[in-house]
Amino acid sequence: MQALLSFDQAPPLAAPLRFFLTAPLFAILAGLLLLWSGPDLFASRWTPAALALTHLISVGFMLQVMLGAMIQILPVAAGANLSRPLLVASLVHVAITLGALLLAAGMLSYEPLVLRLAVFLLGSGVALFVGAAARSLYGVPSTNPTVRGLKLALSGLSVTVGLGLLLAIAFSGGFELPLPLRQLTPIHLGWGFVGWGVLLLAAVAFVVVPMFQMTPPYPAAFTGTFSWSVLALLCMWSFAAGAAWHWPSAILEGAVVLSVASFAALTLQVQSRSKRAKFDATQHYWRVGMLCALATCVLWFAAAVVPALAERPEWSLCCGVLALVGGFMSVMIGMLYKIVPFLVWLHLQNRGGGRVLAPTMNKVIATRQIDRQMYAHLLALALLLAAVVWPLWFSYPAGLAVVLANAWLLRNLLTAAAFYRRHCLKIEAWEAATATPVG
Amino acid sequence: MTQGNADIVLDARGLEPPGPLVRTMEALDQLGPAEKLLVLLPREPYPLYRALELNGFCWQTVCRPDGTVEVLIQQRQP
Repeated sequence: MQALLSFDQAPPLAAPLRFFLTAPLFAILAGLLLLWSGPDLFASRWTPAALALTHLISVGFMLQVMLGAMIQILPVAAGANLSRPLLVASLVHVAITLGALLLAAGMLSYEPLVLRLAVFLLGSGVALFVGAAARSLYGVPSTNPTVRGLKLALSGLSVTVGLGLLLAIAFSGGFELPLPLRQLTPIHLGWGFVGWGVLLLAAVAFVVVPMFQMTPPYPAAFTGTFSWSVLALLCMWSFAAGAAWHWPSAILEGAVVLSVASFAALTLQVQSRSKRAKFDATQHYWRVGMLCALATCVLWFAAAVVPALAERPEWSLCCGVLALVGGFMSVMIGMLYKIVPFLVWLHLQNRGGGRVLAPTMNKVIATRQIDRQMYAHLLALALLLAAVVWPLWFSYPAGLAVVLANAWLLRNLLTAAAFYRRHCLKIEAWEAATATPVG
Repeated sequence: MTQGNADIVLDARGLEPPGPLVRTMEALDQLGPAEKLLVLLPREPYPLYRALELNGFCWQTVCRPDGTVEVLIQQRQP
């Protein structure tokens, strides 16, 4: 393997890795918050602890993983390189990490200054990232569904954060919102879950599901229309919901949910045609994620048919646990187990310059440890769902399981980072031993 | 672009990453100065382009209607 002496080093491994290593810390904090607040957290989705926990997962865990993955996916899938990736990653990482911590703290304490500081940090961090990503994508033609999906997901992120900032400032008593809080919150949620989360996930899935799971590609008719149609439906629904047009809003919301369900069902169908004889952890994680997404959609339709269901606190909490922990977190953890070993391999291969070969990807994190972490995550998901229905019995076991599953995830990711450092030292030792003496 | 133009043909469509990159690198090792390597891939290999550029190769890419991406590679002539 002498021919390719060097790959491009951009983006350096440290750029995405800092996001991936920080994400589990937020999920651990979410577990600790659950242990601290106990069953009271499950009284309603509006309790300070429930709001803080939701944002520790969505802004703390999910945003970290998604931005880190985007830094890596932009050059690989779209040929778009962020300029000065390490500087952008450092600034964005600090801003969103502190912003997420302060957001959760502000929600728990109702301290206006803390919330406004969180708004400033999150707003600047995301604006910097969107600006840098948009600049790298400028001029890249939207010829494939992934490039188009990434561009649209970035607009979805901007709308989500913009609405979130409005809500947080209003929550801190900064000003009177043009819409009631309970009317604007679902629009913020819709954009976060679908306009940013599902669009990004789908754009990435169109590439990585066939690539890593050895499946046939998604049908071109679906990939060509999915992101545009979902975003158009979301815009129309937001307008109808903002104007309080009950029936158009309900129909458009149903269409958005149906689109998400179709993506989940199609992913399961594509996955079932995998050439692999035995599923690995990433495939199991994707399957769980898509089944939970489908279950969330079913719950939404059930409440549309029986409106009394939506009035019960268990319904919204169950939807939240299924979508955030069962859907998004499952898929993201599954992807981390492919992205991180691949990056370690790629950078070691590059560092070795073709003279010292990188070990194979499956040596980076032991399969047994990945499988055990997956069982811990599934246990945490099951206990969280049980805690929604029986909070007195299951809140504490669920909190413990969330801490355990994410501490294990952190351990596995740190193993990969240590593996990289160890092999870099080996390469340096080899280079020193084979260097031609001068003079 | 046809397979007749190439001295070595590598079909990397059914391989899981980093298989396509590794196999391409191995094939480039065997490539003579005037020889051409044709790689068949399921998508555009942006990281490979950068690696080829940095290592003195030139290439042509054609996307087939079935979604296959053909990359014809040879050493850059001085």
